[in-house]
Amino acid sequence: MNTSHAAAARFESVTQTFGDFAAVDGIDLSIAEGKLTTLLGPSGCGKTTSLRMLAGYARPTSGKIYIQGKDATTAPPEKRGLGMVFQSYALFPHMTVGDNVGYGLKLRKTSRAELQTRVQESLEMVGLSHLAGQKPRKLSGGQQQRVALARAIAIRPRLLLLDEPLSNLDARLRVQMRAEIRRIQNETGLTVVLVTHDQDEALEMSDDMVLMRQGKIMQQGSPEAVFGAPASRFVANFLGYENFLALDSTRQITVRPEHLITTPTSPQDPAAVNPDAAAGPGLHLRGTVVDVAYRGVDVIVTSRALDPTGQQVQLLSNMRADALSHLTPGDEVLLSAPGDRLVALAAEPEAASSAAGAAR
Amino acid sequence: MNTSKPVAASLAVLGYIIMIVPILFVVATAFTSGSTLRFPPEGFSFQWFEAALDYAPFTGALFTSLQLAVCSTALALAVGVPATLAIHRGSLPGKGLVEGLFLSPLIIPELVVGLALYQQLIITFRIDNFPVLLLGHTALLLPYAVRVTGAALAGSDVSLEEASRGLGASPIRTFFSITLPMLRPGIFSAALLGFVTSFNNVPLSLLLQSRESSTLPVTMLDYVQQNYDPMVAAISTLILAATVVVAVVAERTVGFAKIFGGINR
Repeated sequence: MNTSHAAAARFESVTQTFGDFAAVDGIDLSIAEGKLTTLLGPSGCGKTTSLRMLAGYARPTSGKIYIQGKDATTAPPEKRGLGMVFQSYALFPHMTVGDNVGYGLKLRKTSRAELQTRVQESLEMVGLSHLAGQKPRKLSGGQQQRVALARAIAIRPRLLLLDEPLSNLDARLRVQMRAEIRRIQNETGLTVVLVTHDQDEALEMSDDMVLMRQGKIMQQGSPEAVFGAPASRFVANFLGYENFLALDSTRQITVRPEHLITTPTSPQDPAAVNPDAAAGPGLHLRGTVVDVAYRGVDVIVTSRALDPTGQQVQLLSNMRADALSHLTPGDEVLLSAPGDRLVALAAEPEAASSAAGAAR
Repeated sequence: MNTSKPVAASLAVLGYIIMIVPILFVVATAFTSGSTLRFPPEGFSFQWFEAALDYAPFTGALFTSLQLAVCSTALALAVGVPATLAIHRGSLPGKGLVEGLFLSPLIIPELVVGLALYQQLIITFRIDNFPVLLLGHTALLLPYAVRVTGAALAGSDVSLEEASRGLGASPIRTFFSITLPMLRPGIFSAALLGFVTSFNNVPLSLLLQSRESSTLPVTMLDYVQQNYDPMVAAISTLILAATVVVAVVAERTVGFAKIFGGINR
C-alpha cells in the first residue's frame, strides 16, 4: 500500500502492552508523505496510543518506528521535530498567544525578526493574528484550537499530529475546522496524522484511512475504497452500514439503507408473487414493516424479514420521501437491492461481539 | 454567607466567635497601662509594646525563629518539590511508599522525633543545636511541601509538559518554563503553610533548642510561666499583626482561593 508515495513514518510490528493488555498489537503501518492519514476506531482501539508512540510520549514494548526513514523508536519527543495538537489544546496558560506560538521557535534559537514573522504567519494562517497579545484563557474553545494548530505548524514540523482535535468543539465549529485543517494541509503540504473516533470526520478529511480495533489494524485505504468495500462486519458497522444478513451458510453480506429499496406489495404486482424470478440478480426479500420514521427529505423504513438462510433480520431502508407511497407498520413489503450494492464481508470470528449493531 | 442554610451559617458564625473572641482579649490586654494580664485593661498605652521590643530574649528569639522558619521552609521545598515531581510525574517504583515516607512526619508524634534527634545528634554526635533544630523543622514541613505542591501538580494538565517537549524543549527546560510556573501557587501556599508551622512550633523546638538558639514560642512559654505582665500579650499582638499583613499581601498578590485551592481540590 502507498507505493506511490514515500513513507513519512512507518510502524514495524509495533506492540505496546500494559500488563496483560495489548493497547497496540503488532501493527504495521505506513504513513504517506504529504497526505492526511486518519487513525479511526472506537475508544480503546489503540489509535491514541499509536499516535503517542509516534510523537515519542510512549515507547513501544516491541517493534520499531521510523520517521522519514530513520529509526526513531527511542528518540525523545524533543528530538523528533513533530507538531502535535492535543485534545485539551495544552496552551501554556501563563504565556500570551504569541509567546505560545513562538515557544518552539525560541527553542530553535530563531532570530528575533524571523521569529516574529513566523509567529505572525502561523497566526494569520488560522486567522487569529489580532489575538497575539491575549492570554489563552480569554479565548473561545475554537480560537484556542486554532492557536494550538498555529503553535504546532510554526516550527514547520516533519509531521503534524492531531489527537482528536475537534472533539471538544460544538457541531458547527467542528465542520468548519475540518475544512480549515484540510486547507492548511493543502497550503503547507504537511503530512498530517489525525486521530478520531468520528467516521464522518475521517471520511471527509482523509486521504488515507486506517481503521483500528483492539490494537489491530482492520482495514487501510482511501475513504472511497474503505467505504465502498468494508472488509469486515466491524468496519461496515463502524462506517454506518446497518443491514447485515447471510446469503447462505458461508456468505455474509451488508447493504446500506439507502440502497435497500422498499416497495409495497399488492396482489396486482407480479413481482410480489415471485420476487426472485421477476427482478433478476440481487437481493429480494419479503418483509413486514415495523416502523416508519419520517425525516422530511427522506424516510427510514424498518422492516422485519427472513434472510435466505431463514434467520430473522431487521433491515433499514432509507428512501426519498417523495418516492415512497404511504406505508404503515404491518404492511407487507418487498425489500430489494441490486447485486452491485451488496457488500460481501469476510468471516469474522469475533463477529458476535459487534452483532448487536450498536450504531454510533 | 449562604442564608439558605441557617444551621451551617450559625455554626460558621459560632466558629468565628470561638476563634476570634479570645484573640481580641489578648489584643485588648496588650494596650493596657496597668501591669497585669487582666481584662478589661486599665487605661491605654504602648508601654508593653516598647517593653517587648526592648526585651532581649524576645528579640533574639524572634530573630532565631524567623531564621529557622525561612531556612527550614526553603529546605523543605528544595527537597519536597523534586520529590513531588518524581512521585507524580516520574516512573518511580514504589511511589506510594515514597509518598508515605514523606508524609510520615504528620503522624509520628513530634516529641518522639524531637527526642530521637536530641538523643542521637545532640548528645551522641554533639552537633550544634541550630542545625539539628533546622533538620527537625525541615522534616516537619516536608509533608506540607509534598502534599500541597502535589495537589497543584495533580490538578495540572500533563499534556502541557508534553506539548513543551514536543516543541523541542528538554525535560529540564520544560520544568523551568512550564512546570514551575504552573506550580507557583502551590509552592507559594506550601511556603506560607511551612513558614507558619515552623514559626509556631513548640514541641520540637522545646527539645532541640539551646540558650542561644531559643525560638520565640518557647521563650514566650518560658516567660508566662514566670511572669504575669502584659508584655507577652504585646508580643502576641505584634505577631498577629504581622500575620495579618502577610495574609493581606498573599490575598492581594495570588489570592487565597488560588493559594489554598490546591488543598481543597
